[in-house]
Amino acid sequence: MSALLEVRGLCKRFGGLVATDALDLDVRAGEIHALIGPNGAGKTTAIAQIAGEQRPDAGTIRLAGQDITTLPVSARVRAGMTRSFQITQVLMQATALANVALVEQVRQGHSFRFWRDAGRDTGLAGPALAVLERVGLAPRAPVVAADLSHGERRQLELAMALATHPRLLLLDEPMAGLGSIECAAMTVLLQSLKGEVAILLVEHDMDAVFALADRITVLQNGAAIASGSPAAIRADAAVRDAYLGTP
Amino acid sequence: MGESPRQIVVLAAAFALMVALPAIASAMARPDFVTLGSQIAIMAIAVASLDLLMGRTGLPSFGHAAWLGLGGYTVGILAFHQADLPWFVTQAWFAWPMAILVPAALAAGIGALCLRTSGISFIMITLAFAQMFFFLFIALKAYGGDDGLSMRRRNALPGIAPRDDVAFYYVCLAALVLVLFLLRRIAASRFGAVLDGIRQNERRMMAIGLSPYPYKLAAFVMSAAIAGLAGALHVNLFRFASPDLLHWTMSGELMVMVVLGGLGSLWGAVFGAAAMVLLHSLLAQWTEHWQIVLGPILVAVVLLARRGLWGALGGPKGGQ
Repeated sequence: MSALLEVRGLCKRFGGLVATDALDLDVRAGEIHALIGPNGAGKTTAIAQIAGEQRPDAGTIRLAGQDITTLPVSARVRAGMTRSFQITQVLMQATALANVALVEQVRQGHSFRFWRDAGRDTGLAGPALAVLERVGLAPRAPVVAADLSHGERRQLELAMALATHPRLLLLDEPMAGLGSIECAAMTVLLQSLKGEVAILLVEHDMDAVFALADRITVLQNGAAIASGSPAAIRADAAVRDAYLGTP
Repeated sequence: MGESPRQIVVLAAAFALMVALPAIASAMARPDFVTLGSQIAIMAIAVASLDLLMGRTGLPSFGHAAWLGLGGYTVGILAFHQADLPWFVTQAWFAWPMAILVPAALAAGIGALCLRTSGISFIMITLAFAQMFFFLFIALKAYGGDDGLSMRRRNALPGIAPRDDVAFYYVCLAALVLVLFLLRRIAASRFGAVLDGIRQNERRMMAIGLSPYPYKLAAFVMSAAIAGLAGALHVNLFRFASPDLLHWTMSGELMVMVVLGGLGSLWGAVFGAAAMVLLHSLLAQWTEHWQIVLGPILVAVVLLARRGLWGALGGPKGGQ
């Protein structure tokens, strides 16, 4: 069976800087595939192209066999692929529940409905609360996002991505800024998603990466210098030189 | 968008005052108060319509006067040609919906272009389109050019004498209440939730699968439609369509009233409009250089009450 996400020959340059250099990448259904590499290796740029926020100069992106290289972000979300952000992007003036309810609303179709009170729509609040429950944020549902802690906002960020019911999640540093206890909790949470949704994970926390990933691809200067199982990556001399360092 | 108890009391008091205004005016033998009241109600409609764009969707349109003017000139021009047109063109039931439809139709086309831009470019392109309409009506000598176009009598409403200022005031007040009610329903609806989301974080809205453009365009058109109604009422009030209604200073004044009342707070529109119209009228009686006094007052309100008059009423945590 072919992979859920197939990236072939992806190229992106900004002036003289090659951000993505002939990148090939596969994510299989249900697996967690980690994308690691030093700062400036092009991880976030790769995610932005796969998510559709940036157009690649060359290469193709396929989701479940369908060529999505030129589709806008919204169409990719409808096709089953959603991203989360390294810098939390939630609606700060809305409650945690309203944030997720809005995702559910968008998922249900167009929002050209002008009359009924969306805040009292149980068809939105019900599913939204279930997603909050899933990420452990249900007790904080009525709290305005601006009043949530950083860690809780990271959970909300993930909840919003999950609420689109994706087949593939693109997670850009879900652990960014989290303390060690929160990191461990997030790792458990991502572990619980395994098998249900495929994840392309960009992360700097190597404990989390090696605990979660089924496969790892290492980026350097926009190119994949290694790809394989966590054990193989740990043993790879080139990767040690470029990124992991000698233990 | 829950209101604090203090805000509800103030709102009820303001509404009671507006209902009782003609009685108060006649008791004080000041019929001009009724005109002032009509002006406040009409401006409040225009401000509320701009707040749908600025406050709710986060689109600072600097060309809102265009819709006000187009709505006004629509009823003015229909009345100007009444001899050559069917009898009903001066009836409110025909002329006012036209004053809503004409700006809405033009806003659909202009908005489709303007909304390709954002930020400063959006401010500038909306200003440019509005100025285009201003110069168009200045140049249209057939409709008075820069002298404006007067209207012999107000649009006919069944059961209301055309010269009855008090009855016309109640028509304006009813229109304001209707518009506020509609906008409040919209704010709480699914559509309103999307507009809120676009204002707060457009990138996030796209990342959850939404295309913001059609929603922004719909808000732009609705906003223009409501402003068109305000323009029609304004021209009816003074029986005169002035190109000043289209001037960029009118767009600026509307923006000031939105901020003065409280950005994104629907009720704030009424207070912003009332404060501006009253200050304008009081200060203008006092000195012809009234703008020198108005400026510092506006600066003080913006500095002291960040969330506008309505936000200040709500107390430290009240309002939005």
